[in-house]
Amino acid sequence: MAICPVYTTKSLHSTCSISTPSKTHLGFHQKQVVFYTTSGRKTSKRSGSTSSPYVITCSVGNSQTVVIGLAADSGCGKSTFMRRLTNVFGGAAEPPKGGNPDSNTLISDTTTVICLDDYHSLDRTGRKKKGVTALDPRANDFDLMYEQVKALKDGIAVDKPIYNHVTGLLDPPELIKPPKILVIEGLHPMYDARVRDLLDFSIYLDISNEVKFAWKIQRDMAERGHSLESIKASIQARKPDFDAYIDPQKQYADAVIEVLPTQLIPDDNEGKILRVKLIMKEGVEFFSPVYLFDEGSSISWIPCGRKLTCSYPGIKFSYGPDSYFGHEVSVLEMDGQFDRLDELIYVESHLSSISTKFYGEVTQQMLKLSDFPGSNNGTGLFQTIVGLKIRDIYEQIIASKTKTPVEATKA
Amino acid sequence: MASRAAPGVIGSSPSPSFSFRSAASLPVISLPVRIHANGKTNKGLTVRAMAVAKFKGTQRREKHLTEMIEKKVTEAKEVCEGDETSDECKVAWDEVEEVSQAKADLRLKLQQEKDPLESFCQDNPETDECRVYED
Repeated sequence: MAICPVYTTKSLHSTCSISTPSKTHLGFHQKQVVFYTTSGRKTSKRSGSTSSPYVITCSVGNSQTVVIGLAADSGCGKSTFMRRLTNVFGGAAEPPKGGNPDSNTLISDTTTVICLDDYHSLDRTGRKKKGVTALDPRANDFDLMYEQVKALKDGIAVDKPIYNHVTGLLDPPELIKPPKILVIEGLHPMYDARVRDLLDFSIYLDISNEVKFAWKIQRDMAERGHSLESIKASIQARKPDFDAYIDPQKQYADAVIEVLPTQLIPDDNEGKILRVKLIMKEGVEFFSPVYLFDEGSSISWIPCGRKLTCSYPGIKFSYGPDSYFGHEVSVLEMDGQFDRLDELIYVESHLSSISTKFYGEVTQQMLKLSDFPGSNNGTGLFQTIVGLKIRDIYEQIIASKTKTPVEATKA
Repeated sequence: MASRAAPGVIGSSPSPSFSFRSAASLPVISLPVRIHANGKTNKGLTVRAMAVAKFKGTQRREKHLTEMIEKKVTEAKEVCEGDETSDECKVAWDEVEEVSQAKADLRLKLQQEKDPLESFCQDNPETDECRVYED
């Protein structure tokens, strides 16, 4: 992989210095690293006896960073979806060590999750003055977003700004090294056309208004300052901007996870049992949609019966082709809740094309994170499945790219 | 003769029927509760006890965010009194949302991170505070 990090030479005998060319104003690091040896007295094993500089050039063509976009309204990097996703790849995702404690970035062994709020061009006071919400594209710097995502995709580390959600200010930038998988999460991953083209796969998390209301109540009711009216007013006030700027991104997503209230319980307004739809676009490269029983046909399936006993209200699945914003899609839907482990494994054994590496992987992933919200319904299930699909896409992309060796030329 | 009276049933007291107290006889409803990592359940509107926040810095942060939420909510209500569809009103409620989300994230982080020293030592085992000696 062609990453060119900067090394300090404490371990070598001769005093070496490394000079890197100065960074551009956008904070990029050049692709060339130049090594100088000061004296020819002691030679290190690698370098020759001369003091000529060595230039190592990193070639751009073998960049293997896969970029995933996730549009979600629920804050950055700390959302359940992100944690499930990073868990599929292994390793816990944590904020960068030794950096800004209010950083929104999450880094694990294979994945880096970047919060798009970091690309706000206006901080909280700036937005107040201009009268724009964070949802408004005018509050975001899409040029910088495009340049930095492009650089990371090409294998160049960037200095990304940090937006501090507590203070509402833009903090000094942090260094982000290109990872194997880059996930950009936020409100506008698919808004800008150039950024959209960089995405290898995109997901939109579509929460219906009733469910959003119920979740926000759960989140905020324990707060002293909040009341039912304030939560309602907050959602209502943000709705026009949300519908105008965020919602239209749905049509560009390769997968949409739509969360709706259940149809199994008449007049249910608790929002606890959920009906979740996984809308998968057909014809996306490297992405094979999940299906039930027979691809392309319409199925309605209730797994509860003689082989499996479920408690009220049970589980209902359906699958079928559909059209979504003019695209051909396949829709897999789950309504209800899992109460027991064997329900989950039973359902998993009947789903096809879920890209698991072994039987029961979905169940295992769900159990690992069983204290996360949504672990007993379609949200957790589909988020886990999408995570496995992303792993599959990543492996296919890597296999398809031809590797070019890093060239080391003597200057 | 003074002898200890055997415990007997005094006529008028009714015998308490404990048999209905057992949970098994209650109808089993799958209550929509969110079970937190520390085992407490959040039933509706009860305030969750933040017993995990032992460290002054964290407590201060939490307090700061809580106060900010209260302040921003009152601000938003004032601004929106005049015109509910104005830009200022939208921005004010957006700020409330932002701060509420930040508070929720802090709450989540508190539930996960039991001991900051432990996570520090995982990353830096050679520092003085984290050295472990095995004889």
